[in-house]
Amino acid sequence: MGIGPSTKETTLHHFRDPLLEVVSEDTDLDLLGILLVGSPDGNNDKLFVGTRAAVIAESMRADGVIVSCDGWGNSHVDYTNTVEQIGKRGIPVTGITFNGTVAQFVVVNDYLDAIIDINKSADGTETDVVGENNMTRLDCLKAKALLKLKMQKKEKENR
Amino acid sequence: MAVEERKLRRLTIKAYHMDTVVMGDRNDITSGGKMTVCKDIIPELLKDAKHIKDIDIQVIQPGDHDRWTNTIMDIIPISAKVLGDLGEGITHTVTGVYVMLTGVDVNGKQCHEFGSSEGVLKDQLVLNRAGTPGDNDVIISFDVTLAAGMGQERPGPTEAHLLCDKFINIFRDKLRSFNGNQCTEKHVYNDVVRPGGKRVLIIKQVAGQGAMYDTHMFPKDPSSSIGTKSIIDMGNMPVIITPNEYRDGIIRSMN
Repeated sequence: MGIGPSTKETTLHHFRDPLLEVVSEDTDLDLLGILLVGSPDGNNDKLFVGTRAAVIAESMRADGVIVSCDGWGNSHVDYTNTVEQIGKRGIPVTGITFNGTVAQFVVVNDYLDAIIDINKSADGTETDVVGENNMTRLDCLKAKALLKLKMQKKEKENR
Repeated sequence: MAVEERKLRRLTIKAYHMDTVVMGDRNDITSGGKMTVCKDIIPELLKDAKHIKDIDIQVIQPGDHDRWTNTIMDIIPISAKVLGDLGEGITHTVTGVYVMLTGVDVNGKQCHEFGSSEGVLKDQLVLNRAGTPGDNDVIISFDVTLAAGMGQERPGPTEAHLLCDKFINIFRDKLRSFNGNQCTEKHVYNDVVRPGGKRVLIIKQVAGQGAMYDTHMFPKDPSSSIGTKSIIDMGNMPVIITPNEYRDGIIRSMN
């Protein structure tokens, strides 16, 4: 069971992921691909693989990145680092993850200003109910809209 | 910004809707929308199992969720590759029914580490999400009993997924040969380049901590755990996949 059950992305979720739908159908956007990165157990490994993901984003000359996360708690150690590493490289970045009340980021940085909280539970907790705190199409539309705004802002700054 | 698309490759997914899913005297599926499920296959599945001691298979009709469930390990669509590799060609999939893998060990310890979802099914599963069945969907429950303590050791859950796929393969093999013209839905997806469009990358952080926190990739059949590579074994390093590979079930969520 995922960390934890309510945020777990099932195989069925990956088969019909709303984030892919939302980004790929937008004709303003050129979707480069989906980069999967594992969430390792050890802290050093967490920082390492997330930083490599940011390097790949830079190498692909991405104009923007949306980072999603299956799980929370210690999974946010790598998640926040990955977002920071992308942001530090000057790439607009938004994200989707579960925060609620129990999963506020255990580590923070300057690049977490556009993360959509997918909590759906009344009290913001890990309810152990499968599917409850999963991303929906609306969450994905928000993350995409914020990314488009950030990319637009950066384009203006560069002019 | 109006940009002209350049198509790279095409994936066609044909769906066959199941109107009736019931227990029967054999495991069978027809393009006419009838599926029967039979427990007689269980001894065959258990024959070479090292860590799984027992399996139960049940058909759960829509709304019949006032019943006990062990912790939900995964929800899996039934799909088969008909032509080409994952991400291109033709895939057949089934709508109206999904497989739910659940697990507990012989001592009653649920297969989990950081929170589990056992309890009354209607209280433990939110329907109509991307990753969960809808109000009108049937669930085929594939419930495994693991050897003592094996729910927390990597080979246990891995074997549970594998046996579940040996069961699903019975249906995949039949689904593969369905007449393409008899599908109830047809979706065509292209991997495209949109020159001039903003170049966006999706990064998905997935489970790779160990034991039942694993993500498998690159099966032959969509959403299968057979013949896959584990992200743990790949050092959790980033791996790029195309949109069509993703929507063709290249990921099996083992967590």
